[in-house]
Amino acid sequence: MSNKDCNRSIAAALTAATCTLLGTSAVEPVQAQEEPGWDFNTALLYYGEDNDRVQDLSLNILSRRVFVDDRYLSLGLTVDALTGATPNGALPQSVPQTFTQPSGRRTYTTTPGEFPIDDTFRDSRVAVTAAWEQPLGRLFAINIGASASSEFDYTHLGLNAKISRDFNKRNTTVSAGLAFAQDELDPVGGAVMGLTQMPVAVDDDDDGDGDGRNRGPAEDKDVLDVVFGVTQVVSRNLLMQFNYSYSDSSGYLNDPYKILSVVDGTSGDPVPIAQVPGVDGPSHLYLFEHRPDSREKHSLYTQGKYYMDGKVLDLSYRYMTDDWEIDSHTVDLRLRWPLGSRSYLEPHLRFYTQTAAEFYRMSLIDGDPLPEYASADYRLGDFDAMTAGLKYGWKTSGGNDMSVRLELYQQSGNVSPDQLIGNQVGRDNYPDLNAVIFQFGYQFGK
Amino acid sequence: MASPCEVLCEIDTADEARRLTELVAAEAWRIEDKFSRYLPANIINRINEANGKPVEVDPETSQLIDFSTTLHEISAGRFDITSGVLRRVWHFDGSDNIPTKTAVRKVMEQVGWGRVTWDSPLLHMPPGMEIDLGGIGKEYAVDRVATMLREATTASCLVNFGGDLVAVRKPCLRNAWKVGVEAVHASNTNAEKLLNLQVGALATSGDARRFLIRDGVRYSHILDPKTGWPVPDAPRSITVAADTCTQAGMFSTLAMLEGARAEAFLDVQEVRYWCYRGNDPGGRKIGVVT
Repeated sequence: MSNKDCNRSIAAALTAATCTLLGTSAVEPVQAQEEPGWDFNTALLYYGEDNDRVQDLSLNILSRRVFVDDRYLSLGLTVDALTGATPNGALPQSVPQTFTQPSGRRTYTTTPGEFPIDDTFRDSRVAVTAAWEQPLGRLFAINIGASASSEFDYTHLGLNAKISRDFNKRNTTVSAGLAFAQDELDPVGGAVMGLTQMPVAVDDDDDGDGDGRNRGPAEDKDVLDVVFGVTQVVSRNLLMQFNYSYSDSSGYLNDPYKILSVVDGTSGDPVPIAQVPGVDGPSHLYLFEHRPDSREKHSLYTQGKYYMDGKVLDLSYRYMTDDWEIDSHTVDLRLRWPLGSRSYLEPHLRFYTQTAAEFYRMSLIDGDPLPEYASADYRLGDFDAMTAGLKYGWKTSGGNDMSVRLELYQQSGNVSPDQLIGNQVGRDNYPDLNAVIFQFGYQFGK
Repeated sequence: MASPCEVLCEIDTADEARRLTELVAAEAWRIEDKFSRYLPANIINRINEANGKPVEVDPETSQLIDFSTTLHEISAGRFDITSGVLRRVWHFDGSDNIPTKTAVRKVMEQVGWGRVTWDSPLLHMPPGMEIDLGGIGKEYAVDRVATMLREATTASCLVNFGGDLVAVRKPCLRNAWKVGVEAVHASNTNAEKLLNLQVGALATSGDARRFLIRDGVRYSHILDPKTGWPVPDAPRSITVAADTCTQAGMFSTLAMLEGARAEAFLDVQEVRYWCYRGNDPGGRKIGVVT
């Protein structure tokens, strides 16, 4: 008998002797784990859109410290490196188009037939979060947190709090949360005023804010979120959650880098503007977009997690409606499929559809009175999106969790025919989007 | 049990709490009265005072002696209920008071389960020898109480007799019973390791405060009944998780007796354990085997 066999037979003999001594054979097997001081959940994520659009490399670290009596401290850090940009809102054209950069000092020219993109865009973002969670008495728990992020032209500060109470032998949890965020936008060249004309490029004073004609100082945006939720243990196998949330944004809600083409009312082609010799400027008439200064959203969310024979089915649905007349539906489906005791596969499918904002339009017509609000941002249009992905996770020999995830995202828009003028008919007017997401995750305790 | 004993229960009424506490206390006192070697006129006392005459024991004592015999066999003699007499020469009070080799050799003449004739229910022990069930009594009491609670209530309970404990049923009001395991430092600064115990037992062997030091050599209070001397390189403490407190306690005791090989011994047992060595947190070793 090897040394190992010898030792193992000790365990067997001890078990047998204990059963004889205590006269009990059926006790539940022990379940005891060490509570790690700090739990780290880290992820490296790559998000890349096709056609040289946005690429993002993101590092996420979420650490959680457990204290006695179910108290937790969570600290998070996210660092993003972004390149590329989204289409600027101008329509594609059969001739090259020249645009003034947001700085107001230089121009860029885009290829005929392609959706205009300012591909000089670079940004990095750092975000931090902190949260404290603890029981309050026997049935209540509170969670308070703060968040901050900073990028070149955007600063975010947020506070949040949530209280929950258990009912019904802890089978029901009711929660209410409140979050407030104050964001500041300080776009390159200053915050533009809506529906003003894209200026010519002027680089006379070298102060980086262009000629200042239609540019204001930094602008604020306030967001208030309220959420009410119920989590219900329905049976041994089923956990359900229902949320209602309300969100109110106010302040500067424009995207300062988005514009609309002004087109001829008959041909539908962007209106060229005469170039002054020696001055670099836009080749056509473009106006900056203008959105309302408030937005109210209501959403309903329900999620079910169903455990069946080792597998977990996670299905959720969200309905959102807002006073910009965007209605959206999201269905998200995940199935966690164990492969042995140490690894699993998790396919993921997500469907999303939304209606266009009431002020979304492809372009503005030359000579028509200006609407109060207008945006050609494709994210405010009518579109459908689908995500399909697969995640593989496994336990390392050291007991930590690793995972890789690959997802494909596809978004395609629908432009209503009555919006199309002249030559726009038959053209590709909505910038469809394909993206790939790759994530490596590592979870460990220390 | 020479230590604080408590029972935590997830119940709503004081009456129920009192009923369960009385049940537990009665059983704990019964075992203490019956098996403590410090009390007069109990079965242990009768055996130890028999002066070479055979003693007939009751079924419960017989089962405990059977169990001890099995452990003596599987530990190749390192677990021995006759080793208590070594305390006559070893006093672990933090001093340098190491007994002479002659003194140890002399008291070792009274040690050795092999010298005892055990033919259940008759125990025949040479004069001068003593048995002591202290090495398993507390764990046995915890398991006995746990068995009673399993029948007496449907609530989740945690039985804690001086750090040897059993969780009966998973708790409903929390994820797990949180158990702090002390890494007792010589400097008296206690570092806690928090364990989540849903169900099952934890037992700890070792006490870092009980040792002797001479010429820079630290003598642990874990005595090897085969030599009469402290086990070299024994960990300061070992906590083991197992289905029953008796198993957990025996794993930790047997591992202690392995000295430097304690972790290696536990690694092949497929039990979770937490083993502490050394004074500083960096020097302690924590092993988890799944």
